[in-house]
Amino acid sequence: MQLRDFFSVDAIDLDLNTETKDETLKILVGLFHLDEKSESILFKMLKRRENLGSTGIGRGIAIPHCRSLVVNRLRVAFGRHGAGLDFKAIDEKPVHYVFLIVAPPLEVSNQYLPVLGKIAQFSKEADVPERLAAVESAEGFLQLLEEKGV
Amino acid sequence: MHEQLETLLEMQDLHMQRRALEEGGVRELETGLFEMSAEEAIDALDAKISELELRLGKSIQERFRSLIGTRQRAVVPVLAGVCYGCFVAVPTSWAAEADPNEKLNVCQSCGHFQYYPT
Ligand SMILES: [Zn+2]
Repeated sequence: MQLRDFFSVDAIDLDLNTETKDETLKILVGLFHLDEKSESILFKMLKRRENLGSTGIGRGIAIPHCRSLVVNRLRVAFGRHGAGLDFKAIDEKPVHYVFLIVAPPLEVSNQYLPVLGKIAQFSKEADVPERLAAVESAEGFLQLLEEKGV
Repeated sequence: MHEQLETLLEMQDLHMQRRALEEGGVRELETGLFEMSAEEAIDALDAKISELELRLGKSIQERFRSLIGTRQRAVVPVLAGVCYGCFVAVPTSWAAEADPNEKLNVCQSCGHFQYYPT
């Protein structure tokens, strides 16, 4: 299983110019092109998860995630925010890189946890924040994932 | 979308989240990587589930409780015309509606609430 196989180019936004965490989650959910109602349910679930504890894991990276019946397969998105967002992250630093993961309650191939784990593993690599900052295109982002062998 | 269906979906998602925090991989990740307190989170989820439950009519509330208790899921998706609670095809007239989620559909064969994902 390769992480890059789960990302599509149109679910990568390298120029987020949102003001808040909420707005950012909405924009990223929007990349999945669901209907309005499903988007709002998904947003609510992601917010609920954030209320249980921030998904900002430090070093400028956040991994909001949830399961919901409104998606029929695992979906991932990535967003980069130049100025940085207040995500109430563990290290209290602004978040620049947001990986969004959503999955249905039950998946045939059970990929949710492994994908979350791989993104976590990727995020922990020392040079990843600076490499993500330097990425110039969605393809470049996918190449980085590939290069890191996740 | 039918208002009570939306509430049921939310409640089910919260139940799933709660269950995942009680065991295994998700719990490990949430308490490790994300430094979440699983016990506090479970309490918060329970409170939210109870709050949402008040929005449901009595019979729907009872059906939800019984399904989630005995079969883990109360709402199941209908994919390609098949109910994923029992793998029986749903009546074509149901699936053919403009937005089947506008009604609260209960499977005639397995009794689960049904949801049509987009
Ligand atoms: Zn059924």
